Formats: sequence, structure tokens, C-alpha cells
Amino acid sequence: MPNVILEIKNLKKTYPNGVRGLRGVSFQVLRGEFLVIIGLSGSGKSTLLRCINRLTDATNGQIKISIDQTAEKVDVTKFKSPTAIRALRKSIGMIFQQFNLVPRHTVIKNVLMGKLATTTTLKSILGLFSVADRTEALNYLELVGIADKAYLRADHLSGGQQQRVAIARALMQKPQILLADEPVASLDPATSHTVMNYLKKVNHELGITIICNLHDLSIVRQYATRVIALKDGEIVFEGSPLAINEDWFQKIYGIGALEKEIG
Amino acid sequence: MKPYIIRRSLLDGFCFSVICSAFYFYLPEAVLNTEMNFKLQIILFLCELILGALLSSVLYRGRITTLGAKIFQPDFNPGVAEAKNFYRTFWGWQFLVTLLILFIIGIFKTRFSFFELLNIDGLQGAQRLFLGMASPNWQVLPQAISNIIETIFMAFIATTLATPVAFVLSFLAAKNVMKGRMAFIIYLFLRTILNLVRSIEALVWAIIFSVWVGIGPFAGMLALMMHSIASLTKQYSEIVESVNEGPIEGIQSCGANKIQTIWYAIVPQVILPFISFTVYRWDINVRMATIIGLVGGGGIGTMLIKYQGQAMWAEVGTIIFVIAVVVWLMDQASAVLREALK
Repeated sequence: MPNVILEIKNLKKTYPNGVRGLRGVSFQVLRGEFLVIIGLSGSGKSTLLRCINRLTDATNGQIKISIDQTAEKVDVTKFKSPTAIRALRKSIGMIFQQFNLVPRHTVIKNVLMGKLATTTTLKSILGLFSVADRTEALNYLELVGIADKAYLRADHLSGGQQQRVAIARALMQKPQILLADEPVASLDPATSHTVMNYLKKVNHELGITIICNLHDLSIVRQYATRVIALKDGEIVFEGSPLAINEDWFQKIYGIGALEKEIG
Repeated sequence: MKPYIIRRSLLDGFCFSVICSAFYFYLPEAVLNTEMNFKLQIILFLCELILGALLSSVLYRGRITTLGAKIFQPDFNPGVAEAKNFYRTFWGWQFLVTLLILFIIGIFKTRFSFFELLNIDGLQGAQRLFLGMASPNWQVLPQAISNIIETIFMAFIATTLATPVAFVLSFLAAKNVMKGRMAFIIYLFLRTILNLVRSIEALVWAIIFSVWVGIGPFAGMLALMMHSIASLTKQYSEIVESVNEGPIEGIQSCGANKIQTIWYAIVPQVILPFISFTVYRWDINVRMATIIGLVGGGGIGTMLIKYQGQAMWAEVGTIIFVIAVVVWLMDQASAVLREALK
């Protein structure tokens, strides 16, 4: 199967305090997919994403990624050296619920930080990014529709705008995969759709595979090409977003949970 | 053994030995204060400490809350408030009695005496001194000013040299930066060294350096610098440890290395508090520099000790006036600067 970009086998994570975040998760991701992972808080969604780019180290199992189309898939959980882990992170972009921009820097500088992996330490400390990098940064800001905000301080932007800056920063890495950890959980419904639309655009126009954690089912149905549901660190559902009916909903979110309608 | 048990035993043991020492007052002076009995006293103290620790664990088994248990025992029921008033508890009385005995011993040890305080000869001496200082000799003013400028520059150079060193060390002494085994060893090593340096007062450093490089402002400056490096590193690293982790993960997920992460995610968050602490350190250093002069660190302090030695109180008055004005000005300026940097 040449178009499998990511293959996870029996992934387990036990935290030092004994909490079991993941209890053996296996699935595959195809190139170009918009995969959404749903589940309650504490179901292991974040842990799963963070294991993929090694912000968290898995206890057990395999995560095989083919960084470019021709290369063999390699098990990234085996990576030991910081250099290998940095190379992995370079090819995987990530956006977060709290945006995680550097508040005091300008928007364009935040976007340029996506190029840190390919900039030497000395040049990055002196802030010497190439003209090509700057043009690229402005292009990505254009893509997410906030080129006019490029020279404002990042913390002067609204939440939705900050998340778009974060997307632009991730795009600067020229990633194969974009991980999105609850990207719209701290945004209002209208802004949520704007941000999700930009993610969809990135997925369609740039062909970047997206793995996204969400908990709002109405958004999931609109954007996902495939859904995986986690409960207590295990996969309880895998399939089309349209296949999640009332029964499945109750299984994933617990008996008595009601689906609320938003926007 | 759990650390809180050790802490509880030590505190209760100490309280017990303090309470025991109340009974020594009945013993004749000769038994206690001769050098021959020094060993005996140490052994006695250690025995009391151990006895107290044992007593503490007996009381703890008997469900009586001792002071040590009250302070160090982890709270298993955080929602439950103390039902009894403190004067009806064992630990309350243990605390009061220990404090009272310590206070009484302290009164004797510091030779507290109203007689000396109100002695007529002494009062006249003090009066002479105050009168002298109240009518300063302005002849020495130019010299005092040139000396205080030397003091201010001592503080300035000490702070300026200490700041970059402390800046680099602070990241190596911050727990959230030093993850991994090797890094943690460096962190522990550095923390120990810094605590050691900081526990030696600047005054003692001045004595060391005045032997090393000779009496004068250079020795004083080096002493202030040593102390500033240790103090600033500690303060800086505490700020580094309290930064928001979000931007750090954001930068790490871009594939940045350690130095890039520190520079882009941590430094922007800590730079203003760093500057604020640096300004405050300069302010502290000016005050310390006057004292350091007393032991040969140069500047205004050396001039002060010279005139004080000759009981020239009018000149001393001038010097104290100059110091007070400069310290007050520095204090105000640094407060205004720090307020603006918030």
C-alpha cells in the first residue's frame, strides 16, 4: 500500500503516575486524508497526537511514518537522538488548543519560527531569516487571510486569528502531516468554522494529511473524511463521520449524553 | 523513611531539647559553661533530640498531633478544617512553651539590659556623637562625593559583569529546561554551587578578595559580583521555571533545537522580569558596596571607617548624609524604573 502515510500498531502509553493514556491503539492513515479523532476529555486523544511527533514518548508499540513518498516507513518511537526527533518534527506540523504562539513577537516572526529546523542556531538567534523565507511567510499569511496583520504583536490578535497564524507557522515547515490538537476548542462557533475551513483548504490545496482532535460532532461531520473514536485509551469506532448515529454517540460519549446543535 | 517523618522527628526533637534546657538554669554555671563540658553538652543535646523524636512518634501513634506533625504531615483530608482552638491542642502549647523558653534564653544570651541602655555616661557619649553628626563638617564633602561615585561604579560594574553570567547560568539552573538525566546532574551540581556561593555573605567575599587582589575598590567589586551572580541566577531561574509551557511546545513542534527553543519561547517571556531584577540588584549592590568598604572594599565605606576610628563625628555625619541621599535616590529611581518595566 503505497499511499499509507502513517501506521500505528498497538500503541500504549502509561504515565509515571500510573494513569493509562493509551491501551493498545492501532490504525492507519492514508495520504491526503482529513482524519478526525473524537472522544471525551481524558480519552487519550491528545496523548495519541503528541506521541506521533514525540512531544510525549509512548511506552509501547510502533508508529511508522513514511516521511516522503518514496521512502520506507520508519518506526519513530525508536528514535533516540535529538537530531532524529527534530527531523521528524520538522516534517510534522502541529497546532494547539491554546495556539502556543510567542506572545511578544510579531506575527511574521512567529510564522518564521516554522523555519527554525532549517536555520542555523547562530542565524536564528540573530533573527537572520532569508528573504525567500520572509516571502514564503507572507504568502502563507495570505493563504490564511491575515497578511495585513503581519507586523502586529501576536498577542494583539483575536483567538481565531492567532490560530490562523499557528497554521501558517506549521505550513512553513512544509509538513507531510499536520496534527491539530483541539484547534477550535477555545473559539466561538463562527470562528471555529473559519479556522476549520482553512484547515480544509490546506488539506485540499496543499494535499497535507490532517489528523485532528475534536469533540464537537457537528464540526466533525462537516470536515472529516474519516473518524476514529477513542474511549478510555481504546478505539471504539472507526469509519465514516456519517455513520455515527445516536447509538454510536451514546457509546462514545456515555449513556445519557445529548448531542447539542451548534451553528 | 518518608521525608516528612524525618522533618517531624527533627522539629519535635528540637522542641523537646529546648524544653529540657529550661531545667539547666538550676544547675551551677561551672557545670555548663566550661570547655571541658562542651562535649557533654553536645551529647546531652543529641540524646534529647533522639528522645524527643521517639516521644514524637509515640505521641503520633497515640493520635496526638505534635507541632511537627501539624506542620509536616501531609494533609490527607484537605477539606476538613481544624475543629479545636489552638490553645486546646497539644501542638499549640508545644509551640508556645518552646517559643517562650527560646525567648528567655535569648534575653540572657544577648545580655539585654535596661541599665546599660539608660546609663548616664553612655547617654552622654551618644549625645556627643549625635551632636557631631548633626553639625556635619562640609570640608570633606568633595572627598565624600568622589568616594561615593567610586562606590556607585563598583556596584555598576559588579552588576554589569554578573548579569550575562547569571543569564546563561539561569537556564542551566532551571528545572523545566534541564530535562533528561545528564541535564539534571548539571542542574543539581550548579544549584549546589550557587547555594554555597550565596550562603557566603558579600562581606566575607570582600575579605577573601581583599587578601587576593589587595584592599581597594577592585576587591569590593569582585565581592559584589560573586554575590550578584549567585543571587541573580537564583532569581532568574525561578522566573524561567514559571514560564508558560505552551510556546515552548509550539516551538519544539517546529523542530527547533534546545538553544532556539530557549531563545524564541522562553527569553521573550522572561526578559522584562530579568531587567527588573537586574535594576533592583544594582540598587542592592550600591547599598552593599558602602558596607563592603568597611572591610577594605574601597569606596565610601573605607572613608567612613577611617573617620569613625578617629571619632571625628562631624566628618562621619557628612559621609552618612551623602550615603543616605544616594541610597534614597537609587531606591526611588529603581522603583520608578521597575514600575515602568511591568
